[in-house]
Amino acid sequence: MDWKEYFLAALIVNIFQMALAFVIFAFQGVLPLNPQGFPGLSWDLAFMQVISFGTNTNLQHYSGEGNCVQLPNCTALRPGVPGLSYLSQMMAVQFLQFTSAATGICVAVAMIRGFIIHSKDSGNFYVDFTRTLTRILFPLCFVASLVFVGLGVPQTLTGYQITKTVEGAAQTILVGPVASLASIMQLGTNGGGYYGANSAYPFQNPNPASDVFQIFLMLLIPTTLCFVFGQLIGKKRETRPILWGAYALFALDLLIAFTPNFPVVGPGMEVRFGGFFSVFWTVVTTAATTGSVNTSLSGLYPLVILSAFNGMLIQATPGGKGVGVMYMVMFIVLTVFIVGLMSGRTPEYLGLKITARDVKLVMIAFLVHPVIVLVPTVLAYSTGAAGAIGVGTNSIGFTKIFYEFTSAAANNGSDFLGATANTPFFNISTAIVMFLGRFAPIGLLLALGGSMINRKRLTTEAGVRTDSPLFALILVGSILVLVLLTFFPFLALGPILEFFQGRVNGF
Amino acid sequence: MVSFKRELWQNSSPAVRLAVISLVLCGLVFPLVITGIAQVFLPSQANGSLVQLHGKNVGSSLIAQNFSLPIFFHPRNDSASGVDPDITVQDAYSQITRISTATGIPMDMLQQIVDQNEEGTFWIFGTQYVNVLRLNLVLIQTNNSAYKAFQ
Repeated sequence: MDWKEYFLAALIVNIFQMALAFVIFAFQGVLPLNPQGFPGLSWDLAFMQVISFGTNTNLQHYSGEGNCVQLPNCTALRPGVPGLSYLSQMMAVQFLQFTSAATGICVAVAMIRGFIIHSKDSGNFYVDFTRTLTRILFPLCFVASLVFVGLGVPQTLTGYQITKTVEGAAQTILVGPVASLASIMQLGTNGGGYYGANSAYPFQNPNPASDVFQIFLMLLIPTTLCFVFGQLIGKKRETRPILWGAYALFALDLLIAFTPNFPVVGPGMEVRFGGFFSVFWTVVTTAATTGSVNTSLSGLYPLVILSAFNGMLIQATPGGKGVGVMYMVMFIVLTVFIVGLMSGRTPEYLGLKITARDVKLVMIAFLVHPVIVLVPTVLAYSTGAAGAIGVGTNSIGFTKIFYEFTSAAANNGSDFLGATANTPFFNISTAIVMFLGRFAPIGLLLALGGSMINRKRLTTEAGVRTDSPLFALILVGSILVLVLLTFFPFLALGPILEFFQGRVNGF
Repeated sequence: MVSFKRELWQNSSPAVRLAVISLVLCGLVFPLVITGIAQVFLPSQANGSLVQLHGKNVGSSLIAQNFSLPIFFHPRNDSASGVDPDITVQDAYSQITRISTATGIPMDMLQQIVDQNEEGTFWIFGTQYVNVLRLNLVLIQTNNSAYKAFQ
């Protein structure tokens, strides 16, 4: 397949998969494995959710455990919140978490194939997809699921358990097929949890050991793919700028998040993770664009939120599986071009001359992101949709709305709003943002990789060496300048303003 | 657009097949296999780590339950999940005076119970914590007369 055929095959298969999941969501009320008797999701919510899971975003405008007003002593659940049947959790959520993760890996490899010397085409999507599922995701998730069960994560299809507490009150224990979902949601950098509280809920993340294991799973595939790049193109040294760049920026995120206060257990945090693992998790989940959370975002310091924005705006630190490495190649091509302009040399990467068309492709891929983040953020306020769900115009409110669309565009999925954003405006706008944020850059970067096939290689090493620490440094610098120039005004109105207000009031 | 239509036509049959096969494998076979293995080899964890008292389920060790009597340790209620089963050791210490007054158990014995049930996070990261349900079950088993109704 050439890049167009590959992209269309991926897109068509993904759309069919989302359509199947839509049917499950919309008709879960009449389908089996629904012991809690949850009704089907409204069409706009079902539409938004299949796009959300199909694009590897996992923004959730529902709470998986649902509204159990009828159930005795069902704490922490708000009435009127849509819930999911066991069948929906398995055949809609887990299903799309597997397929979107596999698709991400496939398109990354297809793009990399373009850079391999003497490569003939972008590969075959059907073969790549099947192999990714059967040889990478199933074996890893099989082991991870059983480790989770061993650590205390439930895996059962019998309905919620009603027990009598020690003091004699009735209590509902919200069990379900959680472990199999938790494995792919972290390994596939999906992030959509079984419960509304995600990995803060003890059944999804019972102890510090399961917490550290989930952090490891989130970073595993995105980091591995940095090495896959060097391995596939036959120049292992070219892994360096991708890996060094990603982890230098990751270190910067950590530095911002842990400055100026070392976190202690506060309201909204789970005692078993404490302050450190709540903040560390938040940095990892946005750096790997997973989007799972183990704490309430509202309880975190503004600079932790700023760090989370960094991860989602760059998307390559190391980013989601597959797309992270694609974004880093995009930034490398941009940096090579900028360095070429400054030094007066012909820009080239891996011996390939970078043409005007290549630069156009990567510039459009880069600019998609600010457009789909900033325009809907402004629209949410100008149409009154933000006010309708009770979000104010102060820095805290602005941060919530800006975060929602940043998370949607970066296919991250963590959010402040949760089920409160279950309104037609937010369901439809985030669905469009997620779809464009996923498939526009993938299509453009596949085109970039595809155009490298059969391109003449320069034999003299006249260009900039991309495997040196100096280049990694320039790469990090240009990524920061590009992202900051684009998003600074919005960041300033949100978390940065909140930080300074907190400082001033604190004095 | 012509080429897109052609592609769509050529892809539709294999794409539908792949979508359906992946739905069955990822959405049904995988979770069912995991459920089967978990139920056979790890039934306690797989069913929600339920805790028994006198042979009856009294809740899950992983999910907080409401304790309001002064003779018990109380959970916190401001956490992210709303069902945080643990409290910090400091929090437990601060409740010792109340429990001692209500039950007559000496304070140093209560402190000993807390210390024996301490669980830690990794290295310097995080604070020591205790599981509220586990602590209260230990209290019931002290055979103190204040817990007569629960013995």
